[in-house]
Amino acid sequence: MRMYETIFIADPDLQDESRNTLFEKFKGILGQEGGILANFDDWGNRKLAYEIARKSRGHYVCMTYGGTGPLVAELERTFRLDDKIMKYMTILLEKEIDPEALQLQIDAEATAKSEADAAKANADAEAAQSEKVAQAAEAEKVAETVEPVTQEDEEEEN
Amino acid sequence: MTFQKRTPKKRFFQRRKVCRFCADSTLEINYKDAKELRSFITERGKIIPRRITGTCAKHQRVLSTAIKQARTIALLPYVGKLS
Repeated sequence: MRMYETIFIADPDLQDESRNTLFEKFKGILGQEGGILANFDDWGNRKLAYEIARKSRGHYVCMTYGGTGPLVAELERTFRLDDKIMKYMTILLEKEIDPEALQLQIDAEATAKSEADAAKANADAEAAQSEKVAQAAEAEKVAETVEPVTQEDEEEEN
Repeated sequence: MTFQKRTPKKRFFQRRKVCRFCADSTLEINYKDAKELRSFITERGKIIPRRITGTCAKHQRVLSTAIKQARTIALLPYVGKLS
């Protein structure tokens, strides 16, 4: 199995719904042909360096996956048939990969990500709490500092 | 570029340029990083030769491929407009 990376530029004027069905279609082809999707990166609308089909913007999507030659051929054939795809490019990242190792790596990344999210949520909660404490402490400090000033003012007035 | 006067015969020596990617091994050449690649193409969109930028042969090869890939997917222009 080989590691590929495909970038394709979709029509920027598509509705979210039809765009999602379009992406699902490609993911389906990946699954049918025995590919393993490692990463699906949606870059969103970007400005193009040159006009394609009289459009100066495009919706970029970058897919990283493990697959075989026929899979890439099939994917590119559907890209060419679909007029919602303005341009595509496939790049070979690695010539020999172990599908099981790749699957393990994806799973590990997924768990790491969920753990990181959980840790981040915890950290956020803690940070919010400590912030509250800090705010309270600051409020006390402010109260302390304010008092002497008022005393001075009173003295001046006297 | 800075020129240094060395001999009275008015010969100019250019300061030796170092390959940016050899000097900093954390820098990676990636065709998706159009911002980084822009410093290696002219305003017209041409690839700057390595005698100007000082990039080493190995990295210039990788760089030129990356620029060409970025052009294919419209991250970099084939022909830039003069501003």
